[in-house]
Amino acid sequence: MTGNLYQPINAAVVDIIEESPTIKSFVIAPETAFGFATGQFVELTLPGEGEAPFTPSSSPAVTEQMEITIMKAGRVTALLHECDKGQPLGIRGPYGTGYPVDEFAGKHVYIVGGGVGLAPIRSLFLTLVDRIGDFKSVVCRFGARTPEDFIYKSTLFGAWQKLDGVDIKLTVDKANDDWDGPVGVVTKILSRKDIDIKNAVAVVCGPPVMMKYATVSLLDFGFSPAQVYLSMEKNMSCGVGKCGHCMLGKYYVCKEGPVFTFEQIAKYPSLWD
Amino acid sequence: METAFISRLRPLLDAIAETMDVYTPREVGEHYVYSRYHGSNSPDPQWNDVRTCTPAKDFLFPPREMASAFPQPVGPVAVKPFAVFGLKACDLRSMEILDRVFREDEFEDSFYAARRQAMFTIASDCSCPGDSCFCNVLGGKPYPESGFDLCVSSVVDGYLVEGGSPRGKNFLFSHAKMFGDVPDALLNERAQHREGVLQRLAQAHADLPLDVPPKNVVEQRYRSEIFDEEARTCVECQACTRVCPTCHCFYLYDTKQKDYFAKMKMWDSCMRVGYAQVAGGANPRKILGDRLRHRLMHKFVWFFDRYGVEMCVGCGRCIDAETGGIDIRRVLRRLNDELSDTDRTTVKATT
Repeated sequence: MTGNLYQPINAAVVDIIEESPTIKSFVIAPETAFGFATGQFVELTLPGEGEAPFTPSSSPAVTEQMEITIMKAGRVTALLHECDKGQPLGIRGPYGTGYPVDEFAGKHVYIVGGGVGLAPIRSLFLTLVDRIGDFKSVVCRFGARTPEDFIYKSTLFGAWQKLDGVDIKLTVDKANDDWDGPVGVVTKILSRKDIDIKNAVAVVCGPPVMMKYATVSLLDFGFSPAQVYLSMEKNMSCGVGKCGHCMLGKYYVCKEGPVFTFEQIAKYPSLWD
Repeated sequence: METAFISRLRPLLDAIAETMDVYTPREVGEHYVYSRYHGSNSPDPQWNDVRTCTPAKDFLFPPREMASAFPQPVGPVAVKPFAVFGLKACDLRSMEILDRVFREDEFEDSFYAARRQAMFTIASDCSCPGDSCFCNVLGGKPYPESGFDLCVSSVVDGYLVEGGSPRGKNFLFSHAKMFGDVPDALLNERAQHREGVLQRLAQAHADLPLDVPPKNVVEQRYRSEIFDEEARTCVECQACTRVCPTCHCFYLYDTKQKDYFAKMKMWDSCMRVGYAQVAGGANPRKILGDRLRHRLMHKFVWFFDRYGVEMCVGCGRCIDAETGGIDIRRVLRRLNDELSDTDRTTVKATT
């Protein structure tokens, strides 16, 4: 008898961080060490209630705990938001292929993120920063609806901005009195002059409409479809390429994704729906 | 012994029932469905001249089962060996298709694998294919050639029983006393029956010659309005995907039991509106025509690209079950004709 694909490992919530009015980060400790590659996702079970896919936002270097940042978006995520420390959970995975970080070596990494899309990006960012010398630069262009809606505020507005080899610019759709940065959608702060495009990759993660327009801008700048990495949001359920829910053309997002180059998936219609 | 003769089905099934549960087809209305065979307590087993109404996947991938539990984990329960009589060539092909999904090396579904391992397949020839059968259009034949433990063919005064696997051949060998010899005349009779049924199928589908393989037909007419037109009569009953022997979509959902939590695995259907919807509300296939398009693309293009075989065996169950009258043969033929017309127009335009 082989192992049961659908049996989660028992885990528990050890800490909860309020990130924004609708987003919380959960620090989760699985009973046994749980490794993952940055960009891979896990299936998180709230026992008796439901299961949903999330990409951990913590560094893959830490295996005894992981952080998962969750926006209140549906039934299961709303119930997760009501949980307290100590809440038992189940966790399956990791699934998918994640970001090919080794292929980014020697290049500029141009990261475009929006909203809760910063969650997978944080894990990637921490991975890149751990070996920052391997990359020409790490350039981040992040957007949020309002300054309050940014997640990871303390590091995003602070420590990350001061890192060598890292260039971060932030924008908001709607400013408040404290905001003196750019106002507008994230594509407004993208510029072809930010990096040497010939020697770069772009990583995009955020709401579908933001991904769509960011991809259009990047292609317009001269990125080839093979240089643009997208995190596709589908309702991955089984995680192992069987249940069918996350099909994107011939791909199972849960197996070949959730990170795809635009070249892989450009031909499929309803890509952004 | 490769092939043997037996005059009645009952002693054959009784011998098999000594060591395993046996399921046989039973005629209900216009169709056959499976029921448990209890030896002398059951009426004489029936010969199904066509595939059953319900798909073989029922035995391997039940409509609902417990997939995991919390806090105490579960694995697949031990499966008692069981035999299924009357599986047709299309059923065997459908199981090979499901094998590709559920028995993948890296991600084997242990529930499926345990049942598949425990299943003894007693296939049989189709003596009278149904009006909806079109296995021949998809490269199938109305008689099994591989993938069975035993294969039974109806001949005058009895049945030929062929061993296809070591398990099946061992059975014939160890029960040699039950069987008679097979003269060439009976083998010839079987061959003639088979050829006759094959020709009948070919005649029945004389109007369904696809000019190119179904993969090309569907892929090249992907944007056709035919999908929307055909979907107009769909009532979203999802019967097409439930009776399909190759459709294998499922969803996992969590339940609260008295003193534990369970994760259940239940058949799902890509024809259901919320099937691909994500928590944020985005849904790539809100329109019925898009869902029909997706179903055919999955069956004929994407599954083929991944596994090298179509995810359709031409059993016609979906045609029988269709509440809205969508005939997958008609959809394929219309797409094929549209493709031919387009090709002709393109040729004309370039000359």
